[in-house]
Amino acid sequence: MAKRLGVYVCECGTNIADKVDIDKVLAAVRTLKDVVVADRYKLLCSGDGQAYLKQSIIEHGLTHLVVAACSPKQHETTFMNVCEQAGLNPYLFQLVNIREQCAWVTPDGEAATDKAIRQIRAAISRVHYHTALEKKGMECNPDVLVIGGGIAGIKASQILAAPNRKVYLVEKTASLGGKTRRFSKLFVNMESGPGLIEGEIERLRQNKSIEVLTQSEAEQILGFLGNFEVKVVSSAEDKEAKEQDFNVGAVVLATGFDLSDTKGLPQYGYSTLDNVYTSLDFEEMCLADGPTQGKIRLKNGQPPRSVAIIHCVGRAEKGYCSKVCCLYSFKFDRMLQSQLPGVKIAHLYSDLCIPGKANQKFYEDTRESGVEFVRSAATEITGGDKGLTVKYETESGTKDDLAADMVILLPAMEPSPDTGRFAEMLNIPQDDKGFLAEEHQLLSPVASAVEGVFVIGCARGPQSIAESIVQAEAAAGKILSALVPGRELELEVKTSQILESFCTGCKTCIEVCPYGAITFDEDRHISVVNEVLCHGCGNCAAACPSGAARLKHFTFPQIYQELKEVLR
Amino acid sequence: MTDKKENAPVLVIGAGIAGIEASLLLANSGRKVYLIEKTSYIGGNVIKFEEVFPNMDCATCMIAPKQQELLADENIELLTLSEVEAVSGAAGDFSVKIKQKARYIDLVNCIGCSACFDPCPVEVDNEFEEGLTKRKAVYIPCAGALPNVPVIDTENCLRFKGKECQACQEACAFEAVDYTQQDKELELKVGAIVVATGFSMFDIGKTSRYGYKKLGGVYSAMEIERICASNGPTQGQITLRSGEAPKSVAIINCVGREEKGYCSAVCCMAALKLCHFLKNKLPGLKITQFYSDLCIPGKAYQHFYQEVKEGGIDFIRAEVTGVSESGKELAVKYKTDQGKENTLAADMVILNPALEPGADSAKLAGMLNIPQSREGFFSEKEPDLTPVATAQDGIFIAGCAQGPKDIAETIAEAEATAGRILSRSG
Repeated sequence: MAKRLGVYVCECGTNIADKVDIDKVLAAVRTLKDVVVADRYKLLCSGDGQAYLKQSIIEHGLTHLVVAACSPKQHETTFMNVCEQAGLNPYLFQLVNIREQCAWVTPDGEAATDKAIRQIRAAISRVHYHTALEKKGMECNPDVLVIGGGIAGIKASQILAAPNRKVYLVEKTASLGGKTRRFSKLFVNMESGPGLIEGEIERLRQNKSIEVLTQSEAEQILGFLGNFEVKVVSSAEDKEAKEQDFNVGAVVLATGFDLSDTKGLPQYGYSTLDNVYTSLDFEEMCLADGPTQGKIRLKNGQPPRSVAIIHCVGRAEKGYCSKVCCLYSFKFDRMLQSQLPGVKIAHLYSDLCIPGKANQKFYEDTRESGVEFVRSAATEITGGDKGLTVKYETESGTKDDLAADMVILLPAMEPSPDTGRFAEMLNIPQDDKGFLAEEHQLLSPVASAVEGVFVIGCARGPQSIAESIVQAEAAAGKILSALVPGRELELEVKTSQILESFCTGCKTCIEVCPYGAITFDEDRHISVVNEVLCHGCGNCAAACPSGAARLKHFTFPQIYQELKEVLR
Repeated sequence: MTDKKENAPVLVIGAGIAGIEASLLLANSGRKVYLIEKTSYIGGNVIKFEEVFPNMDCATCMIAPKQQELLADENIELLTLSEVEAVSGAAGDFSVKIKQKARYIDLVNCIGCSACFDPCPVEVDNEFEEGLTKRKAVYIPCAGALPNVPVIDTENCLRFKGKECQACQEACAFEAVDYTQQDKELELKVGAIVVATGFSMFDIGKTSRYGYKKLGGVYSAMEIERICASNGPTQGQITLRSGEAPKSVAIINCVGREEKGYCSAVCCMAALKLCHFLKNKLPGLKITQFYSDLCIPGKAYQHFYQEVKEGGIDFIRAEVTGVSESGKELAVKYKTDQGKENTLAADMVILNPALEPGADSAKLAGMLNIPQSREGFFSEKEPDLTPVATAQDGIFIAGCAQGPKDIAETIAEAEATAGRILSRSG
């Protein structure tokens, strides 16, 4: 069928018409190959303008359309919709921006007109090589896999589960609740951690759409948003390992944190001196079902009369502030004071990090209760017959020391040991500290670089309980918004494709794909694009040495024909 | 819950990044969203920043795609120049009265060509630019503001003061200027409400010791943000009021912290960002930061601090007791932790103030019947367990309306409100 091209130039009121000689433009392009109509209109984006364009496409039986007007950011979608209404595939259309790129920036009218002609010729040349593209949809599975049964994982599961959406909550250990269960009190309101967790677990049990798999690990997760295949292995001590396979549409990682190793920092005497504890050791001691039934005791069974709390242990080595240590240390003050009235407490700290509306009051109340705060640039713990000595150095370099029966270290938080395994399994980047990286640090904090995989809580960095819950709800928001039961996922139209006969199997494309959308087919020895994951960035098409990778709507002939005319 | 509640439209109050993000997620799920915004533009405070920490992303470039997506989303009805007047009903079935002021420029016909600005004879301080530059009575707050449609400021427009002026209408080729537009009252039926009204800056005028608005070289952080902005009053040229580039800058942190009684969470990082930006633009610039405690929480911020510090910034842990004029320069008097007093000379002083709740918070809290914290921010239902819910079922909070926080936390909270609203488990 012969091509029938239409070219329409928008006057944009006076915005284009005042600078660009539109009649000259039309005369220059009217005679080009296959152009059957070239015309001008006052304002094509207006209601009248759109109706005129639609009518013109039908009347002239156009097979391709070029519109010269404003930025594609403003009206590309508008004109693509007009094409659809007129029965023309919207990808057989090209918009030329002669307002921002000519009329508004080129002071000389003649030069602006020449530039407009050049750009419109390029678009005409390009549109000849356009092919019709179709929008595609994909059925999706609304179910969700949540990995990690701490507070973040529990809250994500609760909020996601529904009669038409099943949630699998996979926990490595035998019980749910993660670290929160081990905190007898929580800042700033001093409620009970185990109490909070029991309440949440009860809510979890009542929800029939949640399947809890404890003593279980996700061994394999393959797929993409809307369709992941999951293999989970459960291995209770007294039972044989059981394998379970199921499909989900999204994955939430809530694998939590651990404290960094304090043994490697000899200046603090942890594991060499008695009565030096980490914050988690101290939490354990305060638990009613802990080793001392919740009583705060020295190794000799006596209650401590003085306690030193050392902040920022391992911070310099880790290279970041763990965000919650200052706040939970004030919680320790209250736990010590309520059990041991008159206990002397000193904090050795460098900078207080107590961001947010409610936290300064928590700090001030602590300070007013008689707790001492000593700013220290370097701290060392030594032992002796009478107890522990905390040697410190002030910022101005003065050295001093204080005595304490008990020392509590506040070590840096780090990602739990499993984090790397999941990063590798799911192809999610980790930052230089080992935490899982966000899709965009600011704009997409709970999504990962892999669409459909979300990261919440301390797996993505130190967080408070409230922040972890916000992130659990946020991941749920993203999933509930994207995976609606019964609705198809709309896929990117301008995706890449790899031509089998051209592909040499060099895998260059796999290295440059930021979305993990290309896999290698070992049998055929070629790379294959997963159209569901492809965002159409074009990295593979640019990098492919054999010309096998091609981006739809940005093919080499299309780009070549366009450039040829621009540079002519 | 009934089907009606599950599919009911949602009202989002405030079109800053929190409101935009919540609206986009809710709309994408198929919900109808009414997004109301008090000002004439979307993007809130974030679009005032040239770059944001810790990656020095261009803020307007970063959120422009989200703004475009919002404006193109058929499920989202954006109502600018609008405020809540009254709220009744309960979760699943709220009735909200909205007052929308007339823009006097037709949103459909206007193409944003700005031809109406020049002929307008009125010139007033541009609030968006912290008064550092002037605007007309028909204006957009800054280049790139969206929707790219001006508004007529009826307080200053001659025509609305009874004079015979129609200069803007005459200049418009698209018949977009419409003086007959009227303020509207709308009644919206919604199932849930997201409050995302953001923050204001502590009024530095309340403290006299820094010489703000009296000494020419003293600026607020927001004024400097606009001076740094490529679409701002100086097109990004860092200059003093004299037009000269500063040679030495003192940044004073925690301004208003004592008065407010809390740490505003983002100021240390914002100050470090300014150091990074200023040092980049004026490599020879001497910068000194006065601070009490560095608050740089989380995995990514310390690295940024170290990078900035290594770039040659002086950090002095001290309380600034006064700023005064000393010849052509400013003298910053300070007292260290150890009680030592000293003075530093600088030709520019930047005051980094606390964040506080938006001015309308109390009024809105009353209408929505949700409690405010001691500090005036909206309160969570339970601070730990339900951080984005309020005491009223069906009403949620996101972003700095709840307390000072950074962009990532704000976005997460916005997404969390969508999670709560779309959840069938409550």
